[in-house]
Amino acid sequence: MLTVVFDAGPLITACKFESQGKLVIDHLLPECCIMISSSVEEEVAVLGAGYPDGVVAGERIVRGVIHAEPVTARKWARHLADYTLGDGEKDSIALCGQVEEVEALVTDDYLAFVAATRLGLKAWMLPDLVLELAERGSLTTEVAEAILKVIHPRYRVGVIEHSLVQLQEVKQDVKSRSTG
Amino acid sequence: MLRVVVPVKDEILRAAERRKAAGVGEDITQFLAELINLGFEYRLQRLYRRFEAGEISLGYFANELGLGVRDLYAALEQQGLPTSNIGARPSIAGS
Repeated sequence: MLTVVFDAGPLITACKFESQGKLVIDHLLPECCIMISSSVEEEVAVLGAGYPDGVVAGERIVRGVIHAEPVTARKWARHLADYTLGDGEKDSIALCGQVEEVEALVTDDYLAFVAATRLGLKAWMLPDLVLELAERGSLTTEVAEAILKVIHPRYRVGVIEHSLVQLQEVKQDVKSRSTG
Repeated sequence: MLRVVVPVKDEILRAAERRKAAGVGEDITQFLAELINLGFEYRLQRLYRRFEAGEISLGYFANELGLGVRDLYAALEQQGLPTSNIGARPSIAGS
């Protein structure tokens, strides 16, 4: 199963928005292993416990379906030291370096995206993860499209539009595979 | 509402007193409270511009403002601002 590390922003978005009667996080969890650092847990589920999405995240952490991990190895501490990143972003990147099977960091933050990419990590935005799961057949293209549309307000112009074009390509591939 | 004691510059206090004396302003405390709110909003907007430009992350932004990341997410959402700073920057009116 695909393993990814979530930064706080995408975690909040996934726990907040609903598509087709189900929270986005609950569309994702059966299809990928989501890990978060303890500092992201603190930011979203502890300090954010007054928000419904903070409760959603907290419940899934307690149930063990979102895996909260302390950062024990900070091999990139010096690389990241002078970036103006918060603890959650730094720890999310560090967790990617700590857990071998991590496929990608999921972040919607430009600086975290750049820092992670420069360290040789794969960085995805939340819409990229949705698309990846659609490409793998883990999410139907209809569900993926509905998710992309519902999270649209949290993104700048161009991001979701880009993903929707990519999703059309996935749909074409699926169609040609089924007819060929 | 929480009440705190804060040092205020003499000129700000004099301005508040003059406004009250001239009958243009309300209660001095209310005037000072309004200034604090405006200062917070100004700081949020300044930091948002840095975030928007990709100079600082969302977590750093929250920390600098003294908010938790979730509270900042809510504040931005309330103002209709994206919480992601990747993608095209919103166009400025008139540009």
